[in-house]
Amino acid sequence: MGNPDVVTIRELSKVYRQGEINVTALNRISLDIQAGEFLTLMGPSGSGKSTLLHIIAGVDRPTSGECRVQGIDVARLSESELADWRNQNVGFVFQTFNLIPVLTAFENVELPLLLTRLRGKQRRQQVDTTLELVGLADRKHHLPKQLSGGQEQRVAIARALVTDPTLIVADEPTGNLDSHSAQEVLGILQALSRNAAKTVIMVTHDPKAAAFGSRTIHLEKGELVA
Amino acid sequence: MTIGSFILKNALRNKRRAALSILSVAVSCALLVTLLTLQRELTIPPESEAASLRVIARNKVSLTQPLPAKQLAILDKIPGIVAVSPFSFFGGNFREETVTSFAQFAVDPARFQGLLVEGKIVEGSYDSFIKNRTSCFVGADTIKRYGLKIGDKMRFTGTFFPVNLDLEIAAVFQGTVDDRGVFFHHKLLDELMGDPGTVGTWYLRVASAEVANDVISRINKAFENTAAEVRAETERAFQMSFIRMLGNVKLLIGSISSVVVFTLLLVTVSTMSMAIRERFRELAVLKALGFRRRDLFGFILAESFGLAAIGAFIGIGGAWAMWTLSDLQKLTNGFLIYFEVTTRIIATGASIAALLGIISAILPSIAVSRMSVVEGLKTLD
Ligand SMILES: Nc1ncnc2c1ncn2[C@@H]1O[C@H](COP(=O)(O)OP(=O)(O)OP(=O)(O)O)[C@@H](O)[C@H]1O
Ligand SMILES: [Mg+2]
Repeated sequence: MGNPDVVTIRELSKVYRQGEINVTALNRISLDIQAGEFLTLMGPSGSGKSTLLHIIAGVDRPTSGECRVQGIDVARLSESELADWRNQNVGFVFQTFNLIPVLTAFENVELPLLLTRLRGKQRRQQVDTTLELVGLADRKHHLPKQLSGGQEQRVAIARALVTDPTLIVADEPTGNLDSHSAQEVLGILQALSRNAAKTVIMVTHDPKAAAFGSRTIHLEKGELVA
Repeated sequence: MTIGSFILKNALRNKRRAALSILSVAVSCALLVTLLTLQRELTIPPESEAASLRVIARNKVSLTQPLPAKQLAILDKIPGIVAVSPFSFFGGNFREETVTSFAQFAVDPARFQGLLVEGKIVEGSYDSFIKNRTSCFVGADTIKRYGLKIGDKMRFTGTFFPVNLDLEIAAVFQGTVDDRGVFFHHKLLDELMGDPGTVGTWYLRVASAEVANDVISRINKAFENTAAEVRAETERAFQMSFIRMLGNVKLLIGSISSVVVFTLLLVTVSTMSMAIRERFRELAVLKALGFRRRDLFGFILAESFGLAAIGAFIGIGGAWAMWTLSDLQKLTNGFLIYFEVTTRIIATGASIAALLGIISAILPSIAVSRMSVVEGLKTLD
């Protein structure tokens, strides 16, 4: 693949200090991720998968080393610059969906757009399009509790997508789903990387889920293993 | 959806809690407004410009000691006095009452007219009061309360004075600070008492507020080293000396008010902290989506402030309506004539509520801004 690198990671380490003991969550990791890749991160529990994902997504900071996304050293941004950067460049999908329970599917998807300059009508169009993409156009006025787990996760994907970000990060997005719903969700993520050239980074425990990705990397005790 | 409707949905997500916190703010605000009003009523006598122009001269020894009637001739010569009348508290009981809540005073009707600056005659005529020695001049509130009319008889049984009064209503006044009093001829009292040649107090009006102090010291001087030394003071000061007898009411009510505010603060702070604590994970998600700390602070503040504002509106509005529309005079058996919820008290209540709304938003906001997204995502719902 001749695509440019979207994410370049060099000598990245994350050390948690707990009293006297240092816990090394990531140990001098170097990694390149290309545009349009569907990268899956695998590894045993505690190997540092989530930590790596969080640093790439700009919600955590490395102890040393560098993580550039589209050339920007994310760790150097201030808190509020980082917030704007996340809004524009990253879409999050969580294991537990994390929709706002008092908002409908439509409103949940609209939420990140409230931070943009889009007007009401443009916003609504964009939300409708995105909900259609995940096959939930007919459920837009449902509250999360009125949706199945698979539908909730698809709403969450729509929320991640609606700002048209470069990166989609997903931490065990199928962890709480039955195999059928998981297939649907993975299919959507795959289509996004293949057809919409989105870079998707997904953490998973499940080899069947990892098979949907275009590349799988393994972490162990904070280090990449081939 | 707008930011506003998002905030509203958040605030109302737990309807029972929202209702209870609004209710607790409302009840506390109503209580606070009531206490502040009570404090004001008890410590500041009904104020009127006229009250600072009127002077009461009483026996220096005590209020219950009479003054010689012949002092009038000397008072008439003191410059700065516009009008002066004897003013003797009768303190009788009306009809069969054992406690009568309105006062009766013996005055010199012709002279007393010069002291009446506020209020107006609404029924009968002042002239007929002057002409008829057994008539009386009555406040509209008393007329209304007992269903009286011009020409009706009012019978009072003396308590200080060993005599009874039979008076005929000649005129009705309205628009003074206290529209309850009954005034009658001092001559009638003198007659019934066998001309003792004494009066209770002197009631007089000075030309202007600026000369009031001079006039007061002239009066005091004029009777120095006589058998009946006089102590003159403005009507306001005279009323204040009564209020001092109520003791440290102001302090007491002040401390109760502080306790109310403090309790309310604890309630709102803990309610708001709980409401936000429950939503930590969602707030972490919002942060991940790109909302800044100050956005989240804005959400929390708007919610907390909004709940406090609604509560304050209901509570203060309710207290205002209750005290403005109810017949307090009847309720307190004449103890309180007015229970005026002033603009100032409303503003005080509203500012305290607003402050509470802001303070209760601060702690949760600090917690939220300290929370990292990763940390927040780990909290369980
Ligand atoms: N806040 C923290 N303080 C101390 N240590 C931490 C903290 N967060 C993570 N760690 C440690 O860092 C290491 C990597 O954690 P991480 O959550 O990235 O693992 P993971 O691969 O995502 O595991 P899982 O599959 O269970 O989600 C673990 O050893 C964990 O104990
Ligand atoms: Mg993890």
